[in-house]
Amino acid sequence: MDANMSQSQSQSQSQTPGETPAASTPTRATAAASAQDVSGGHGTTAAGVTITGLHKSFGDNEVLKGIDMSVAPGEVVCLIGASGSGKSTLLRCVNRLETPNAGTITVGEHEATHPDVNLDAMRRQIGMVFQQFNLFPHLSVLENCTITPRRVLGQSKAEAETEALAQLDAVGLKHLSERRPDQLSGGQQQRVAIARALTMKPQLMLFDEPTSALDPETVGDVLASMRELAEAGMTMLVVTHEMGFAREVADRVVFMDQGLVVEEGPASSVIGAPQQPRTQDFLRRVLNPLGE
Amino acid sequence: MAMTTRDRARLSLGIQAGIFLAVVIVLAILIDWTAIRGSFFAFENLGPMFPEIITVGLFNTVQYTVVGFIFGLLGGTLLALMRMSSFPVYRWVATAYIEFFRGIPAILVFIALGFGASLAFGWNLSTLQIAGSALAIVASAYIAETLRAGLQAVPKGQLEAARALGMPAWRAMVTIQIPQAFRIVLPPLTNEAILLTKDSSLIFVVGMAGSAAELTKMGRDGINIYQAGLTPLVVAGFCYLLLTVPLSLLARRMEHRTPRTGKK
Repeated sequence: MDANMSQSQSQSQSQTPGETPAASTPTRATAAASAQDVSGGHGTTAAGVTITGLHKSFGDNEVLKGIDMSVAPGEVVCLIGASGSGKSTLLRCVNRLETPNAGTITVGEHEATHPDVNLDAMRRQIGMVFQQFNLFPHLSVLENCTITPRRVLGQSKAEAETEALAQLDAVGLKHLSERRPDQLSGGQQQRVAIARALTMKPQLMLFDEPTSALDPETVGDVLASMRELAEAGMTMLVVTHEMGFAREVADRVVFMDQGLVVEEGPASSVIGAPQQPRTQDFLRRVLNPLGE
Repeated sequence: MAMTTRDRARLSLGIQAGIFLAVVIVLAILIDWTAIRGSFFAFENLGPMFPEIITVGLFNTVQYTVVGFIFGLLGGTLLALMRMSSFPVYRWVATAYIEFFRGIPAILVFIALGFGASLAFGWNLSTLQIAGSALAIVASAYIAETLRAGLQAVPKGQLEAARALGMPAWRAMVTIQIPQAFRIVLPPLTNEAILLTKDSSLIFVVGMAGSAAELTKMGRDGINIYQAGLTPLVVAGFCYLLLTVPLSLLARRMEHRTPRTGKK
């Protein structure tokens, strides 16, 4: 099934130049095809996430007060809510950048909260994109994307570079592979960060406010790359303030407030017709900042 | 009429220049230039100091400093890792060491090694061993703090990104944290090398054979040998500058180069 999909994608890709001779930039079809290779073409599958009874405190400050939620394999879930509501902490508990105080999290076959879990092996299957990009400033764009496959997965330089260039191509930045991160715009850096995460062929992608630190004009490119990834069947858990993205791309939207899940469901209902007063209040402030 | 900003700036400059000129004139009148020249700048009799001041003195100074710095770097790295260890005993030991050796004069370490070690343990240490290890002991305390600050100056997000990609902690440290910290600590480490170059003169308290003499020792000996007042010390001083000024320039250049705009 996966192989068939890849094949049909690459067929449509090979037809593309004939149809549009002027296509010098990667079209969505080619980009999506590359992303498809990641999630489906190498025998890896999308992983789901199950979170039950999750509690997390920083000192006396209880940030997560018992979260139950799940993400099905291949599903795209957007986490929305005011800052301080615990969205980012929840995300960071999933790949154990934070250690929960109580509750269980499973990611695919890994139980993230088990005391004996192999965190490094688990994290290799979970890609993460940060608000501040966190590209490695002392390495080129290409090296950013090859260092972990080479040093951790033991890939050869050629093998890692081929894969990295394919991923950079998918986000439209292959031509910048020799640049340093600080020579790139924020949006370009963030797309490199997405490509870097995908070189590890993750089964789940976590996005922690990926567009919040960007100049407005570069947000669109990052969201487009994320949408392509979603269309390729990646499981995605996205903390975001981009209601437009949530509405269009998310299979499900989860609204959090003060460490609890308040409302969840399809974007059309949570964003379009919220039931809970706190959701309504939050959305009114986000969608109409001036209170018009 | 009110003074303009430009008038004020001009007046300020005039006052500063006036004070400077007055000080120069007073000094020129008060100072006994003949005595100064005879005591500090009587270079004409110092031909015999060369080339030994370079081939022996400068060479030994560099030798003691390099040995002290290399072992100081090794010791400092170990201490920095101990200070950041999750095992509290390591942290205490490293903190105690650093506070102790940063807090006492380096000359005490030279005396302890030069005289104390032979009395207490019957060791017969060479001058190089005494100078090298005394400098290493002191330098490791300073270098440890420099390295720790450098490692901690690498943004937390860098390690998080590396760990999130699945790098084990040691791999993230070696591949991501240390290369970035290295650029941060280069300027302070260069300063440490300059301090060490000068501290190598402290070996004089222990005494040494002529072949092991470094710059300060040769300068002091020169006072008794040549009829040139303190000029041999001035020569030794210039030799130190020969080492330290290039190091300073190097440190300044590296500080100006922003650590994030990397070259290949």
